[in-house]
Amino acid sequence: MELERIFARSWIFVAHDSQVPNVGDFLTTYVGEDAVIVSRARDNKVHVFINSCSHRGNRVCFAEAGSARRFTCNFHGWSYGLDGALSGVTAEHLYENNPTFDRDKLGLHKARVESYGGMHFANFDPDAPSLADYLGDFRWYLDIILDNDEGGIEFIDGNIKSRLKCNWKFPAENFIGDAYHATWTHSSALLALFGKVPKMHADRSYQVNANGHGWEFGTDFVGNAATLCEPEIVDYLRESEAMFQERLGKMRTRMVGSLSSATVFPNLSFLAGHNTFRTWNPKGPTETELHTWVFLNRNAPDALKEKYRRGVMLTFSPAGVFEMDDGENFEHCTASNAGVVTRRRKLHTGLGLGSEIHHPELKGHVHQNQINEANHRAFYQRWVDLMTAPSWADVPAR
Amino acid sequence: MGNSNIVEATADAPLVDRDLAYVIEQFLYREARLLDEERYEEWLELMAEDIHYWMPGIQARYRADKAAKISLSRMAYFDDDLAYLRKRVERARQTTAWAEDPPTRHFHMVTNIEVQPTERPNEWTVHSLVFNLRHRNEAEQLELTARRRDLIRQEATGALKIARRFIQLQQTVLQAKNFNTFL
Repeated sequence: MELERIFARSWIFVAHDSQVPNVGDFLTTYVGEDAVIVSRARDNKVHVFINSCSHRGNRVCFAEAGSARRFTCNFHGWSYGLDGALSGVTAEHLYENNPTFDRDKLGLHKARVESYGGMHFANFDPDAPSLADYLGDFRWYLDIILDNDEGGIEFIDGNIKSRLKCNWKFPAENFIGDAYHATWTHSSALLALFGKVPKMHADRSYQVNANGHGWEFGTDFVGNAATLCEPEIVDYLRESEAMFQERLGKMRTRMVGSLSSATVFPNLSFLAGHNTFRTWNPKGPTETELHTWVFLNRNAPDALKEKYRRGVMLTFSPAGVFEMDDGENFEHCTASNAGVVTRRRKLHTGLGLGSEIHHPELKGHVHQNQINEANHRAFYQRWVDLMTAPSWADVPAR
Repeated sequence: MGNSNIVEATADAPLVDRDLAYVIEQFLYREARLLDEERYEEWLELMAEDIHYWMPGIQARYRADKAAKISLSRMAYFDDDLAYLRKRVERARQTTAWAEDPPTRHFHMVTNIEVQPTERPNEWTVHSLVFNLRHRNEAEQLELTARRRDLIRQEATGALKIARRFIQLQQTVLQAKNFNTFL
């Protein structure tokens, strides 16, 4: 049901521009549980289509990334162009005078593709709003990481993938609004790296959300970045502060690397400062495939690339000292629901009720204090909206 | 990190002395037991000061693809020097390391140990396979297999140390929620 109502109707992140820079470059990933190919075709545009042959349904691309001229099915040799169109059929004369064989209708089923700041999203619903409308006010926040430098961002090569035995919503809600867990769950990492846990300040921190997307953050500028244990990263941010302010203004500059986490509904999460994006791909109700990337400003010095790559590996990847303790929580939050009585019980998600404020600068719904569950509630409101709406026309703007 | 991690491997290296092979085998078995018993401080003592402990992310690419299957500039699970390894051990030692309590039952099986000489008389390239099981809590069982290529060095004191470790994980998608062990 979620696959139909959420993943087949929402804008799902599939690739950053820098992952498929040249014509022919491709990668394979998932939109919900639909395997897709993301490829840059001869029109220099990024195309997304299902990774399943129109003849017998076999997978047509088995590599996770590479460069190709076409995608050819191993089964009977049907081949498809970089835009998913059917380009070749083995012994095509067999289909002569066959009215059911229409080459133009036998391409690989395509998704709409739109991008924001180099981030490409796919959507299989022709009635869905544009990506710009879908993101709404959250675009103004995404600019904090995507557009704090005129060069934008690039992804570091490689994508760490791992499987967690948890429902995809637990990590998605964790990133959209769970500052509360940070100093408790991650106490061991914080003590090991710094000998103490950081303080979050209610009066100087917020949760913001729009259309079910959300960001919880302090205004400490470099709190997340500092936990990468690479002082040059913090130095870079401080040296670039004036440039950030010019592009983003003072308030958003305070968020460039601050103690924070965020989710773009439904399953794209990121950590500003740590410079990591990740997606939570459902594999049935009790399993999730996590894809983790590192990004940085394209114009940042090369030496810094290495610092981010290693820093994220040490902290927020499956072997990272922070992430180590997250997986345990997500899995057991999921497993405990096997019990009928346990599942019947309502969980408490009421932290920070009544904390909504008007803020002169911040857009969307703004809540005081990052230790809050306002963003959890907004995430699940959006989830309910989509799960109960027969079509996008019935989904309210939030 | 440079390219210092690429441990040389040749197909037709001469056999080393049986006694030396025995000493290195025993060294690796003991190392595995230290990991099983979570004796991480003693395990760190087996690392040379210039250790590079590298477990790259593995990509499934076509044979014809000219891009490297693994690369130092790509993301990795581990790409550690001694300072990084120490930080990981430090975390595991905290009483609030929730994923370590109750303790994981670790199992490191090391096999196919093959010792090859290098150009230096006190350093050897050592191939091995590692099969690792982690059992946790009630019924969790996480299985990892990897090929390893080590550079093992005998220091002036006579002690053997691991100077490079390259770990080629067999999984492209890690079938585990975390990596709370070393291979």
